[in-house]
Amino acid sequence: MNTELVQILEGNTFVVSDSGGDIEASPTDPTGLFSFDTRYLSHWVLTVNGQRLSPLSTDDLHYYQARFFLVPGSGTVYVDSQLSVIRLREVANGFHEELRVLNHQNEPVRLEIRIDAASDFADLFEVKDALAKKGEYSAEPAPSCLVLRYRRETYTRETSISATAPAVFDEKGLAFQVTVPPHGEWKTELHVVASMGIAEGLRRGAARSRAQYRVHRDMARGLEKWLQRAPRLECDWEPLAAIYHRCLTDLAALRFSTLTMPNRALPAAGLPWFMTIFGRDSILTSLQALPFNSELAATTLLALAERQGTRIDDFREEDPGRILHELRYGELTAFEERPHSPYYGSADATPLWVVLLDEYERWTGDVKLVRHLEHAACAALDWIDKYANLQGNGYIAYQRRNPQTGLENQCWKDSWDSIAYRNGDLPGFPRATCELQGYAYDAKVRGARLARNVWHDLALADRLEREAADLKRRFNRDFWIEDGQYYAVALDADGRRVDSLTSNIGHLLWSGIVDKAKARAVARHLLGPRLFSGWGVRTMAEGDARYNPIGYHVGAVWPFDNSFIAWGLRRYGFREEAASIAAGILQAADIFAGRLPEAFGGYPRSVTRYPVEYPTACSPQAWSTGAPLLLLRVMLGLDPHHEHLIVDPAMPKWIGHLALLDLPGRWKRIDAYGRGRVDTDRATSR
Amino acid sequence: MPQDLIAEFFAGLAEQGQIPTFAGQSATLRFDIGDGEVEHWHVSVDKGTVAVSRQHKSADAVVRMNRPESEAMVTGRLNAQTALLRGTLAVDGSMAALMMFQRCLPGPPGSTGRVAPISSATVMSWRRP
Repeated sequence: MNTELVQILEGNTFVVSDSGGDIEASPTDPTGLFSFDTRYLSHWVLTVNGQRLSPLSTDDLHYYQARFFLVPGSGTVYVDSQLSVIRLREVANGFHEELRVLNHQNEPVRLEIRIDAASDFADLFEVKDALAKKGEYSAEPAPSCLVLRYRRETYTRETSISATAPAVFDEKGLAFQVTVPPHGEWKTELHVVASMGIAEGLRRGAARSRAQYRVHRDMARGLEKWLQRAPRLECDWEPLAAIYHRCLTDLAALRFSTLTMPNRALPAAGLPWFMTIFGRDSILTSLQALPFNSELAATTLLALAERQGTRIDDFREEDPGRILHELRYGELTAFEERPHSPYYGSADATPLWVVLLDEYERWTGDVKLVRHLEHAACAALDWIDKYANLQGNGYIAYQRRNPQTGLENQCWKDSWDSIAYRNGDLPGFPRATCELQGYAYDAKVRGARLARNVWHDLALADRLEREAADLKRRFNRDFWIEDGQYYAVALDADGRRVDSLTSNIGHLLWSGIVDKAKARAVARHLLGPRLFSGWGVRTMAEGDARYNPIGYHVGAVWPFDNSFIAWGLRRYGFREEAASIAAGILQAADIFAGRLPEAFGGYPRSVTRYPVEYPTACSPQAWSTGAPLLLLRVMLGLDPHHEHLIVDPAMPKWIGHLALLDLPGRWKRIDAYGRGRVDTDRATSR
Repeated sequence: MPQDLIAEFFAGLAEQGQIPTFAGQSATLRFDIGDGEVEHWHVSVDKGTVAVSRQHKSADAVVRMNRPESEAMVTGRLNAQTALLRGTLAVDGSMAALMMFQRCLPGPPGSTGRVAPISSATVMSWRRP
């Protein structure tokens, strides 16, 4: 069997197949046609005269399109190459497959071409767990199509399969009896449509998607336009152009439209298993991409506001004003076996939403959107004080209210062991992690700016500024670890400092909550031997009990984390330190052919020479894709100031000349230039 | 006479007039409730201000559901999003209108927003083999 998997996608619909285009899913083999978090095809196997085909080659033409060149037989020796078969597959609402059979002989051939099709209608969450389904299956062959259906009470999902050439449909698939003339060709188009089979609005949405098949050629043009619209990059260090191009293309593939805003796109979290809205991931990616594309930010702000919490719901961990964590559409969500309808268990998405709103306005000057979202912003700011103050000390803290399926750690480091004391013990709940306080501070400062300049609510602006100043004062007293000269990663339920040294302190610089007098010590730790690997800042410092260079949140290096840390270092004037982090991460990006993984090992650079990729099923990851974009901003020192864009470069020497041309913003279009002057070799040679 | 939960809910909406979570937003919805004898509720939101009538008028979104499910929804026992995914609620027209409307529905009875703190010792005991 072909072990190499091919995946193509569009929005939240994706197809994972083997390199011949066939799908034979098993519980441990996550292949299939997926849409709205449901598998609509788990079996899709092509045979010619009862024979399987083997691939000669596979082209990933675009993220939504693949082409498979096949010959009948096992493929070890091409004795039977009198026929070739070409499958061209494109994703839309389901997929569309053009099947061509070429006869290379001087004689006509009679063939039975058959496709076996079946679906288990598994929820994405079930795919790896092989849970028993509670509903009933049916397969309904008709003269012109085959409908596969799954029904559980009123929940219905359907896959309909049809073809343009005459075919005979049965419960297990479809077959064509054809004669291919000498040196001739036979062709059909197959349509596989995934339908939620419920609401009229959704059905119409599906119909719209079917119509899109016809204009599918536009997707290629759409991608081209997307690339053309982005600022142009010129650089002496050649790999940077390739990294930039990779990021833009991956970001295009990660675009996702919600049912309520089908014509707008926001960044989904990752491909293919996380093609949905995640509050935190969509916001942070939008922030990273803001200088290059502001539409992603606008859509993220609107889509999250639309689903902002309005009531107390312990199962979904919803509160008034809270911004969601994750939205899903599958069967487990529908029957409340999972809480993602949506799930709100995130303590950072709410303040970060306010941060994005302000940053969006600073770049675009789009006060109309900011006015439109005033109520949502005030509700988000209220959430911080009214619903997140779980320890009663004025800090944002989290503790799950859904003990079965809720998240234990509701910060970005969401694995169970990420928040620990130096000695490896785990704190109780509620936990107030430090970066949450930074985000809250920044949200208040930025909320005050918007209140003053856009909403013209001076009383609110004054109050938020007072609260921010008070929060900063208390935070620098309560979280600071005097003997280590850094901030605790969290306060535990008793107000005790959770004293491991982590990358979270870099986010504090980004937020601005760090006292100027303490900033130097924080920067020294970030670039010091315990945290900095030579490629980037580790999530947890070497020397802490739980440190593990390949521990997800306890030692691995996360590119997205580093991009925000670099931004924070620039904010406090640590130009060389920021350039050193950009250097390490961009060199790693070059080694990964432009596509940074979610995380890589925290081994010292001198030990492994190459960054060791953390095994993960999801690539590209949105905020890893955004990391080089944010690093470009940081290196060039781009910052909006009223109607102007400040450019203040501090870049690694070996970057040489760097230009970003036609940067969009409230200034319309502007060019930014820089030249590398910082010697980063010493820092990155660790 | 048994309580009419649906009538009470819509009367409550109309009484509030200005609904803060709808601030600045406009949309119309019609609810067609029941299987045989269908009752209609027309909700019009104009820049956050709500008006309710019993008229069978056109709307941005037409929502159809049975009476027991409607009662469950307006009392917080049925979540609108899961009802939509399950097919117990069908909508014709603007999904955005429905998304806006669901924000005024109550949360599930029994949700308190509170939970007892857990000590470090307890957390450590979960993780010991």
